[in-house]
Amino acid sequence: MSSPIALSGVSYTYDKGDRPVLREVGLTIAEGEIVLLTGPSGSGKTTLLTLVGALRAMQSGSCTVLGQQLMGASEAQRVALRRRIGFIFQQHNLLGFLTARQNVAMALELDPASTERDRLARAGEMLEAVGLGAKAESLPGQLSGGQRQRVAVARALAARPGLVLADEPTAALDRQSGQDVVRLLTDLARQRGVPILLVTHDPRILDIADRIVAMEDGRITSAPEPATGPAI
Amino acid sequence: MTAILAARLAWRQLLSNRARLVSAIAGVTFACVLVFMQLGFRGALFDSASNLPRALQGELFLVNPLTLVMFRPEPIARVRASQVLADPDIALSVPIYLAQTKFRNPETGRQRTIQLIGFDPEAGAVHFEGLEALTPALKRIDTIAFDRRSRPEFGPITPRLEQSGPFEVEVGGRAMLVVGLVALGTSFGADGNAVMTETNFRRIVKERQPSKTDLVAIRLKPGADAQAVKQRLTTILPRDVMVLTGPELIAWERSYWEKGTPIGFIFGFGSLMGLIVGMVIVYQILFSDIATHLKEYATLKAIGYSNHYLRRVVMGAALMLAVFGFIPGFLGSIALYSLVAKATLLPLAMDAARAAAVFGLIFAMCASAGLLAMRKLGEANPADMF
Ligand SMILES: Nc1ncnc2c1ncn2[C@@H]1O[C@H](COP(=O)(O)OP(=O)(O)OP(=O)(O)O)[C@@H](O)[C@H]1O
Ligand SMILES: [Mg+2]
Repeated sequence: MSSPIALSGVSYTYDKGDRPVLREVGLTIAEGEIVLLTGPSGSGKTTLLTLVGALRAMQSGSCTVLGQQLMGASEAQRVALRRRIGFIFQQHNLLGFLTARQNVAMALELDPASTERDRLARAGEMLEAVGLGAKAESLPGQLSGGQRQRVAVARALAARPGLVLADEPTAALDRQSGQDVVRLLTDLARQRGVPILLVTHDPRILDIADRIVAMEDGRITSAPEPATGPAI
Repeated sequence: MTAILAARLAWRQLLSNRARLVSAIAGVTFACVLVFMQLGFRGALFDSASNLPRALQGELFLVNPLTLVMFRPEPIARVRASQVLADPDIALSVPIYLAQTKFRNPETGRQRTIQLIGFDPEAGAVHFEGLEALTPALKRIDTIAFDRRSRPEFGPITPRLEQSGPFEVEVGGRAMLVVGLVALGTSFGADGNAVMTETNFRRIVKERQPSKTDLVAIRLKPGADAQAVKQRLTTILPRDVMVLTGPELIAWERSYWEKGTPIGFIFGFGSLMGLIVGMVIVYQILFSDIATHLKEYATLKAIGYSNHYLRRVVMGAALMLAVFGFIPGFLGSIALYSLVAKATLLPLAMDAARAAAVFGLIFAMCASAGLLAMRKLGEANPADMF
């Protein structure tokens, strides 16, 4: 099977005439691989992630994610691809008027074949998996920051995504709960064989990765290719 | 299926802020009541405007083509009433006299304008409710029958009559005996009506020339075709009279109020104002709902919800507000209608066609508010989420 992510020659400029934020970026991620993306502020990590996540239209180069070529992809194709990706943001961005369980179920409602029963049951399982089984009926406002981010992890993984993208998921959390969330995420992803591309500044979590890719000034400076294979 | 899920999301979002939900529903209800009242008054006005022509029940009528509205008729030659009898299909032809004059409230002594309707009650061309039994009494000199549906400012005529029988009132400066009651109804042109014979009419309205009348009611022989008779009369009668069928007379009276006065426009304008106020309220609520949840909407887009789905959520909220605002607005308007009908004696009542029309307007009002608010969704950009 082909790589979940295969980029080559990806460049991106925000405003015409500005200097490019991404320059000829190439990156390949293997099945089940957990890759950390690091680099100084402003180096283009978030920009790269929004392109891979089909949140932004490509400008040049080639970017194939879960088999979908994103260069020249339509809005509908990008929306469809996003359904197969689990996103974890800096902020949890849960819907405040839905319970934890309902928030997780939102990721499952995109599948027209699912039933309400199955969705709620699966959401419950996912919350169990992130250790929040007892908080399933709580509103986000009643949860701690770490708990909310764990709900976000459950939401990202609930729909059995082919890929997880996370941008500094620990930034809003204290040291301990940040580590807990990332370990939870990587453990769950490893069990399911889901590859992760995770942007972080946090040196404490570097050890969880199969590979660390560094970016500087719009370019990848180290290890753009997978090592021999995913370390289990 | 997705439509139901989108609607459920909209509903949950509405429910999450009860205060906002209540004010949104109150806004829709307010607009709803306003439109119901405006359309109710408009309908009642046009209905009541044609009270008199409806009650006359003639099959054909002669009027002066210059007459605009029945409470201000231009006279026609009385002789036309007998001329039309030459047509073999015409059984009866009765001149009707119309005038407005002062009626003194027997209790307070205050004067108020009343509509006088004079004709020969024995001829049988006019069938006001209650008239038949009064015909012998009305034939006596200086007698009138009073319209029991007149406004109460004329005084307690009905209870007094029912208690102690006929009594004298002052009509047009003349003492007249009220001998009984008929049922006709007020209109915007007349607060009340008094019915009498042609002779008694002339005793009150002295300046009338005997050769002139105001309206001629014609009854046809059984089986006669009103349209055909109208055609024949139109060709033989001089141009100083116009021949109208019963429904035409009603429509003609109604059209004066609809087209000849700004009243229709005023009520239409009032309805529009209500709809605009309601739309602004609903728009505000939907807009601030989107604005406060912009991040969440962007998240939904990021995890694969389409713009289309989110538009459905907004539309769902708008249409729910329409339904939940309409129900109390509808019930409240029924109550208000009966209150106002009692106070004004106008025929104000809820009917299915109007309820459906107002629901359509409220629905359209909320839908346009939803369409306007939707534009805000464009600001929810999933690329900003990381
Ligand atoms: N929406 C935008 N419009 C214009 N320029 C932008 C936009 N987003 C980012 N940039 C610019 O692109 C460059 C790369 O930004 P990006 O957010 O990708 O960096 P980053 O590596 O994620 O930084 P950080 O570690 O601080 O999050 C920066 O110089 C930034 O100013
Ligand atoms: Mg960033």
